[in-house]
Amino acid sequence: MKVSIIARRELASAFNSPVAYIVAVAYLVFASSWLFFLNQYFAHNEASLRLYFSVIPVVFVFLVPALTMRSWAEERRMGTLEVLMTLPFREGELVVGKFLGAFCLLAVVVALSIPLPLTLSRLGSFDPGQLVGQYIGVLLIGSAGLSVGLFVSSVSTNQITSFILSGLCLLALTLAGQLPGLLSLPSWLGGLLGFLSFGFHFESFSRGIIDSRDVLYFLLASVLFLYLNMRVLTGRKSS
Amino acid sequence: MVEAVGLTKRYGTLEAVRDVSFAVGGGEIVGLLGPNGAGKTTIMKILTCSLFPSQGTARVDGHDVLENPLEVKESVGYLPENAPLYPDLTVREYLSFVAQARGIGKADRANALDRVCSACGLSAVMHRGIGELSKGYRQRTGLAQALVHDPRILILDEPTTGLDPHQIVEIRELIRSLGREKTVILSSHILQEVEATCQRVLILNAGRIVAQGTREEMARGLKGEVLLELTLRPPAGSQGAGGALSAVRGVQRVISEKRNTEGRLVIQLSVDPDSEPEEAVFDWAVGAGMKILSMVPQRLSLEDIFITLTEQGGNR
Repeated sequence: MKVSIIARRELASAFNSPVAYIVAVAYLVFASSWLFFLNQYFAHNEASLRLYFSVIPVVFVFLVPALTMRSWAEERRMGTLEVLMTLPFREGELVVGKFLGAFCLLAVVVALSIPLPLTLSRLGSFDPGQLVGQYIGVLLIGSAGLSVGLFVSSVSTNQITSFILSGLCLLALTLAGQLPGLLSLPSWLGGLLGFLSFGFHFESFSRGIIDSRDVLYFLLASVLFLYLNMRVLTGRKSS
Repeated sequence: MVEAVGLTKRYGTLEAVRDVSFAVGGGEIVGLLGPNGAGKTTIMKILTCSLFPSQGTARVDGHDVLENPLEVKESVGYLPENAPLYPDLTVREYLSFVAQARGIGKADRANALDRVCSACGLSAVMHRGIGELSKGYRQRTGLAQALVHDPRILILDEPTTGLDPHQIVEIRELIRSLGREKTVILSSHILQEVEATCQRVLILNAGRIVAQGTREEMARGLKGEVLLELTLRPPAGSQGAGGALSAVRGVQRVISEKRNTEGRLVIQLSVDPDSEPEEAVFDWAVGAGMKILSMVPQRLSLEDIFITLTEQGGNR
């Protein structure tokens, strides 16, 4: 499979450089310290990880750009994009390959956090169905975030710009749903902002509920930004 | 094998390539020669399908770059300028990635890698990270990348930049040996490079082809323009050589005739070198009572032609 060739190359680069390890450690340290120290998990005396998962969208605002900032921006800066574009791939295959590589990396990082609920599960009666729902939600919001990050990287000239820009985009997407609560906006605008917001659609997932509308939203967002990414690549050829 | 028809590429208002047409046959080594910014890289990008032409098209190995880009990409090996590589990978990981991308199955991959690594002298650094390699090894890794699928056509953008003289000789030797069975198009802004490796040269300037031909054709073209510069001391009261010289055997025309401050005549002649014009000119001078002080043949080198041609178009 041509797509998996690209994805594996991405992973090889990520694991041969410190990026993957730094991201994984930062994620685990932050998520755990949030849960146990900042949030006083044990004081709540609740057998639920809702608090833990509700902060994931905010964590991803930093984590996802770190995973995607290099993808296109760095290839372009180093000139390796030139080689990639002359290998017998279609633009779509390149984009999906890059996405899958980044997604696998994110999935590995997220999977490393599984021991956390596993150890806690000895202390109370957790609902495994709820946990599955929560993890599916994490992967879905991750996939949408990665697509945004990849798209931003494809229009950025260097990885720092790419990191900051995609961080800002994700921050706006995550918090948009909370604006109506802070400002007195017309109800249609409030509804629209909520509908477009990552945070709004992740809400049910953080409670472990899989709502097909939220699933569809994240899948559509992923497809949309991957498509835009592909258009950027084809557009480059005729620029 | 490679045919460009009326290629034009515009970046905004800048015309990087203007109406360029040429054809390269099988087994030929052709050099694109031109100053920086002449459009060499743009032409190569179009031939390798990483850029679309604004107008015109190109056929590579029978496939149109606009209609069948995948087939074109399959039959071409491309080394971009400065040999861009992934510094995080080892040489073997990188070449293996390219081999997979080129559709070389697992069974043949090890063979293909061994073949290009020994051809490019990479066997010693197979397991080293690309980021720690010297410029010479990187260039060879880039070349190995272009050769992994044993393409019929090789397109090399400035294959010897940044190499030391010893490495340059090696790479040129490698390119010449590859050219025995492959079609090679390489670009350079260095004349010796093209003279040393290519059978045919396209000289580009400001996006246009300003001259093209085989080395022999170019040399013949040069021969026709051989100059002879004469310095004569004319006899007292002489009016100068005048038209008498153009009647001399082998002299095609008198380009200029000047009398310098010491009263000497300095004459530039365009001559046909095959008919030994020096002897005839000497006989004429003796007959006319002129004393020849010097007679210097000035052969236009490829370099002179290149400089003349590329200055005419104006540098961008």
